[in-house]
Amino acid sequence: MSSMAEASLARLERIAGPAAILGDAALLAAYDVDGARPAAAVRPADAATVAEIVRFADAENLALIACGARTKLGIGAAPSRYDVALDLSRMNRILAYDPGDLTLGVEPGITLADLRRALAEHGQFLPLESPFASSATVGGTIAANAISPLRQAFGGPRDFVLGMEFVTGAGEAAKGGGRVVKNVTGYDLHKLLIGSLGTLAVITRVNFRTFPLPAEERAFLAAFPGSESALSFCRAIVHSPLEPRRVEALDAAAMGLLGLAPAEAASAEDIWCVLVDVAGTSGIVARHERDLERLARHAGAKQFSALEAADREKHLARALEFPRYATERSPEAVLVRIAALPAAMPALAAESRRIARSNALESALLLPAGGFAYLALSPREPGAGALGSLANALSEFFKTISGSALHARAMVESCPAELKRKISLWGPPRGDFELMQRVKETFDPRDVLSPGRFCGGI
Amino acid sequence: MLVAAQAHKRASRAAAHRVDAAAAHDYSCSRTATSARMNAKLIRELERRLGRDSVLSQREDLLLYEYDGSVEVARPECVVFPRETRDVADIVRLANQYETPIVGRGAGTGLSGGALARDGGIVIGFSRMNRILEVDAENQRAVVQPGVVNLDLTRAVEHLGLYFAPDPSSQKSCTIGGNVSENAGGPHTLASGVTANHVTGLEIVLPEGRVVRIGGKTTETPGYDLTGLLVGSEGTLAIVTEITVRLTRKPEAVKTLLAVYEAVDDATESVVEITCRGITPAACEMLDGWTLRTVEDFVHAGFPRDSAAVLLLEVEGLAEAVEEQAAEISAVCLEKRAREVRVARDDRERDLLWKGRKNAFGAIGRLSPSYYVQDGVIPRTKLPQTLRRIEEIGRKYSFRIGNIFHAGDGNLHPLILFDPRHPGEFERVVAASGEIIAHCIEMGGALTGEHGVGMEKNELMPLMFTPGDLALMRRVRDAFNPTGRLNPKKMFPLGKGCGEVRVQPMPVSSSLPA
Repeated sequence: MSSMAEASLARLERIAGPAAILGDAALLAAYDVDGARPAAAVRPADAATVAEIVRFADAENLALIACGARTKLGIGAAPSRYDVALDLSRMNRILAYDPGDLTLGVEPGITLADLRRALAEHGQFLPLESPFASSATVGGTIAANAISPLRQAFGGPRDFVLGMEFVTGAGEAAKGGGRVVKNVTGYDLHKLLIGSLGTLAVITRVNFRTFPLPAEERAFLAAFPGSESALSFCRAIVHSPLEPRRVEALDAAAMGLLGLAPAEAASAEDIWCVLVDVAGTSGIVARHERDLERLARHAGAKQFSALEAADREKHLARALEFPRYATERSPEAVLVRIAALPAAMPALAAESRRIARSNALESALLLPAGGFAYLALSPREPGAGALGSLANALSEFFKTISGSALHARAMVESCPAELKRKISLWGPPRGDFELMQRVKETFDPRDVLSPGRFCGGI
Repeated sequence: MLVAAQAHKRASRAAAHRVDAAAAHDYSCSRTATSARMNAKLIRELERRLGRDSVLSQREDLLLYEYDGSVEVARPECVVFPRETRDVADIVRLANQYETPIVGRGAGTGLSGGALARDGGIVIGFSRMNRILEVDAENQRAVVQPGVVNLDLTRAVEHLGLYFAPDPSSQKSCTIGGNVSENAGGPHTLASGVTANHVTGLEIVLPEGRVVRIGGKTTETPGYDLTGLLVGSEGTLAIVTEITVRLTRKPEAVKTLLAVYEAVDDATESVVEITCRGITPAACEMLDGWTLRTVEDFVHAGFPRDSAAVLLLEVEGLAEAVEEQAAEISAVCLEKRAREVRVARDDRERDLLWKGRKNAFGAIGRLSPSYYVQDGVIPRTKLPQTLRRIEEIGRKYSFRIGNIFHAGDGNLHPLILFDPRHPGEFERVVAASGEIIAHCIEMGGALTGEHGVGMEKNELMPLMFTPGDLALMRRVRDAFNPTGRLNPKKMFPLGKGCGEVRVQPMPVSSSLPA
């Protein structure tokens, strides 16, 4: 546990107010990051207090880690220092919502679930989804740039976040972007915060554009005799005029992990499933059903069926929670997040499986949205050699994707803390790393925010 | 048409010259007498490195490069035409050696002075770096050099059923490098987003001459989103030498509608209602009565001359969706008292309607000695009161203000017509325009929706950003461009004693509605 001088703690309490947790190891355990425990957790209620806390930390040379529901604190390298947890869960208000204009401004601590309910009252939604859906917050989801399965249809946060307000590592309140749907004024500083794991600034407000809820929704599940045919179905959808909301491909292991294996396929190792969700008016849904079935059969589907409403919910919710299922199944589980070109997906799938097998690992693959994949790895048998096998497999994996025409990029999103010390979670450094360092120095010159947690030790 | 447009351009340049002369002392602020005239030796070195046919330095050759699509003017000391990234890196290194500013330039169609050498120095013209390096239809990507003309990329990939979505009105001549620099928009950004939403990777030359790749072909790369930062940075962070763009699949069906109104309020209320109902057309453009008559007389697009406003709407996507959306939009427009809603029957009719929209500025140039275009953004629901406010401002200053703009995303383009031969008129235009912008910001909007800040709105930045916001942005600029040699005196207010403060900054309440 980090140690802070009594006087320091007292001053921090004066700034942060009564909701602060100081020195109580049992309560502070909830804020552990890779085994590191902070000396205090503060829970500010507004942006001005956040700025004061950061300035205090900056002056006292303390390291802060901002968090919301703490569902994604395992992402990133182990912190090099960690004194205070900056818990933003009390900053959970909707600051501005103009349904007529389809624009929204929220504090970072609001949960996606609460936000979904508030927007649904006005027939709208935000295409921001994240694993740990019941507790995940807006701020954490943006800072971790979680892969929403809705990306194929709606893009990522970069495409629908209009602007942000934040506090830099020097404790300055600033903003980037704006609150209207179109705006090119000044640098889009807010885009730098997406996926920055809290290493540049503490997000205090996010402005979004919202979207109308569709009239009808329907999901379909198709089963294929292998990755080639399943992925050729996905490819055919992309090259068709269809506009599904979600298209997710899963191998048999992924289906099994999620408890979704279709009865006839449970035993067949090479079965791949593709889950497609469509939305719109009944005419549009019907058109999708017709065309999807045709495309599926053409690609060699053994089975194609519409899912009943309850079954649809179950399939979509579990596919969304894949990272959680994958990491919770074993303390030695590893989850790799991959960005790759659609054309490279079949080769990527084959290579991933080969590497897993040759290292005596179980693997499961889920391709949650166009251009993304999750690879879950875990030892067949837990034991002394497990970490070594995992480390070997990851190093082989990074070598394979960086040296080939796969054009893939990857990061280890989750793995045992011990493994984090042995491998580079982001693979080999890239040519623009020095620019990233300059950005970090600009936002957080004295390394106050989440030090050491980003790529290359940033 | 060309003659008319040029005549207008000449007149507006005359106005700009006067403004320039009045502010001439500004230019001497940072570039002192020692560096004011470019070293003849630098020009010789550039010629040696790139060939004499790649360097312009004679006064008469440089005249062309004093202008872009804005009313601003500034003359470079030389213009160079690289053919590849290596040339750009060499130019940058030479510029460093001689401590000379560098400004990138595509086709010079920008409307905020982004491509002008405000501090003199070298303009890098990208017209020879105009190759499409790769088309990857399978993954819907293209890799292009910055000088590729926007529409040329679409033409090169349309046989594959693909297109490049950003479609500024100048797309026949503007370049993708310029689009990236300004984060350009266009009518169809309503549904498909601005340039930033269609760029996944860049090759850049940093001010120290180093070539770096950021992003890539994949949707995103781990690490900070430097591509997202660079797009729209107006040439102040790095020089872009290669761009990887996302190509979009052509929709299965398209329908173009023209809603005709007897009153401007009915048209703006239709836009509000369409937005509120969650209908997102691919485009939703508005022309007011005066503008549509001017356009009609020139283009004969079929806009009814006796109407007070028209909405040009487009829906695209699946055939079923297009039918449903078109019906829904028609119903809303009629409910809001549209006199009629026409549907383009074929491609010819559709093209004609769009010709009317995209050639509007040329049409207006025939009538007025000069005009000034604003680019403010407001929340879409505030359209009716905003157009009424613009009309008031026009009356107050006795200007005719035409409105032709991207109504669907609240991106206004009020056109203030003026005659630069009348003393003091340009200054009054600037004042009127400042009032319009102040209104946009009061409504919770933005200074610029797609034209960029450049040297046109840099003094207005404090309307939208606090000193703290601007200080951080400056530090980001300095992190990439520490000497300030890349596109100097753009985007940021020049501050007291070294800038022309054109309107009084309005206090902005931090509790504005979103």
